[in-house]
Formats: sequence, structure tokens, C-alpha cells
Amino acid sequence: MLGTILAATTGDVTKAGKAVGLALGVGLGALGAGVGIGNIFGSMIQSVARQPELRGELQGIQWLGFALTEAVVFYGLLGSILAYVLV
Amino acid sequence: MLKRALVALSVFALLLPANAFARGEFDPTTEFEQHEWVPIHLGPLNLSITKAVAYLMLGSIVTIAFGLVFMRVRFGGRSGRKETVGEMIYEIAQTQVAEQGLPSKAIGRWFPYVATLMLFIFMVNLLGFIPLPLTGETWHGVPTWGIYAATSSISVTLALALLTFVFTHVEGVRWNGPVRYFKSWIPEAPKPLLALIVPLEILGQFMRLISLSVRLFANMLAGHILILTFLGLMFILQSVVLAIVVVPVAIAFYLFEVIIVIGIQAFIFAALSAIYIGSAIEPEH
Repeated sequence: MLGTILAATTGDVTKAGKAVGLALGVGLGALGAGVGIGNIFGSMIQSVARQPELRGELQGIQWLGFALTEAVVFYGLLGSILAYVLV
Repeated sequence: MLKRALVALSVFALLLPANAFARGEFDPTTEFEQHEWVPIHLGPLNLSITKAVAYLMLGSIVTIAFGLVFMRVRFGGRSGRKETVGEMIYEIAQTQVAEQGLPSKAIGRWFPYVATLMLFIFMVNLLGFIPLPLTGETWHGVPTWGIYAATSSISVTLALALLTFVFTHVEGVRWNGPVRYFKSWIPEAPKPLLALIVPLEILGQFMRLISLSVRLFANMLAGHILILTFLGLMFILQSVVLAIVVVPVAIAFYLFEVIIVIGIQAFIFAALSAIYIGSAIEPEH
């Protein structure tokens, strides 16, 4: 299978490799962050449902966790852009 | 009828930056290039005024003006809606940012720093989503309008993160003394593991610098690139009909950025600064 694909490619495939790398970096980063953000908001809903009076206190922690998790996408994005530009 | 007029109007508005059409292809990354408008070179230092510097200056002016308008306390006077907005922001800065991270003995000294950081980053981010004639390009002599955020330049966010980094360690040494402070970096672990953990801890201190700056920078950059790429699809594929799909999507991303992202990023930067400084002042052990 791989051999067939390799045989079918001709010419310069560096650009294709770079594009695949960029897409993989961003995609996998987004995958992880998606799971994490879902977890955070899910737990937040549960906590508020159990103890609505703690909402104010929990909200600060929730946004902190959200931003920390969300940043993971951007580390992936930055790494793949670096790979795309430098390699 | 109204709908058709609206579509026609939005298409017309998007056709206005005709130089993008003239290029034949649209590259969103050109929006983030820095050109030296007023070159200032001091030896090896390049202090030229670029687009980012202009936006930062504007941001400082807006932040100061915001403080003067909304947060001037008038003792004895009636408090109106203006004061309510100011008090709300002050309360967020105090309860959600400062008190979460800073120990009570250090709030008096470091509350002004984290509150300023929050307000300033919020204002600079917000300016990044208001079209301003600061693109540096002209169209028949008229400056073109565009969106650009100073915080989507890594130099700006790295400078802000460096401030927090320096303050963290200066405060840690000042409150605990150098020996106790640097000892607090070494966690309690069995002796053979320490050789592995201590370099990681030291690396972690520098990773904070990177994570703090990259989070803000990449968020703002990705937000702008997302909006510009969706609008740019029309120019790349050379079809105006695409505006029906592309413009609503771009507006949705724009609203998401303005309503959610810029506030959270400002809050996070300030909150993490407070937590870092607080944890240096009062190490756990």
C-alpha cells in the first residue's frame, strides 16, 4: 500500500509533507483540547447542579482551566507553523 | 428586499479594499508584517515605531482614558451608571484575580499591577477588533481600514510575560531571602530522583514565560487569521457569490472572539501573573 503511494508520487513532495504536518499538528492539538474543555464544562455543570451557591467561586476556576486547556491547541498550531515555515 | 439589499451592501463593503483584488491572491499573513514607519535605531536596539507600537500607544491612551472616565471616585457624589461599570471591573480584578493568587500581605503592593495588566490587555485586544485606519496602506490616497491587534505580535506578549517573570523572582527573593526562595524550588523527593526533578523544575520556571506569552499571542493571531482567511476565500477563489456563506461565518467568529476570547485572555494573563507572584512570595514549603 505505502509502496504504491510512494511509487505514484513524482517530483517534489516537500510541500505536501509540510501541509500534512501542519494539519496533523493542529488537528491533534484540537482533539486533545476538545476533550479537555468538554471535561471542564461538564464538571462545572455537575458542580453547579449540586451546589448552586458556589457558582461565583467556581466560575473563576472554570475560566482559568478553560484557558489553560485551550492554549494546548495553540502550542500545536505554533509548533506546526514553525515546522511549516522553517523546514 | 431588505435581505437582498443587505447582502449587496455587505458585498460592496467587502469589495472596497480593492488592492487585495489587484494582488490576485490574498495572503492573510501580510497583515501581520511590521514596517518601520518612524525608524529609531539606538545602536543595536531597534526602537522604530511600527504598527504594533502605534496600537500599543493607542491602547495605553484608551486604558488611561477608561480609568479616568469610569473609575474616578467622587466622594459624596451620586454614583451613576459609569461608576457601576468601574466598580464591576474593579471587583472582578479584586476578587477573581488578585485574591485568587496573591497572599493578603502582598495584595496592597501587587493589586495595581495585576489590575492594570488585565485592563490594558483587554483594551489592546479590544482595539484589535475595531477597524482602524492604521494598516499603513493607502487606496487612492485614503488610508485603508483594517483590524490588527498589538497582542498578536510575540514581542509584545513576551515583554509583558517578562515583566511578570522578573517581578516573580524579585518578590520571591525579597520576601524569603535568596537561599530560602531558591530552596523552595527543590521539591521533597528521594535523593536519586532529585537529579532528574531539579532541572525540570528550573525548566518549568522558564516554560511559564513561554506559555504565558504564547497563549495570548497565538490566541489573538489565530483569531485574526481565522476571520481574515474566511473573508479572503472570496479573493482566493475569485468569486463574490461566496460572500453569502463566508460573511456570516466570519461574523460568527468575530463575535466569538470579541465576546468571549478577548476578555478571558486578559483575565487569564492577569490571574496567572497573580498566581505566579503569589506562589513566589509564599512558597508551599
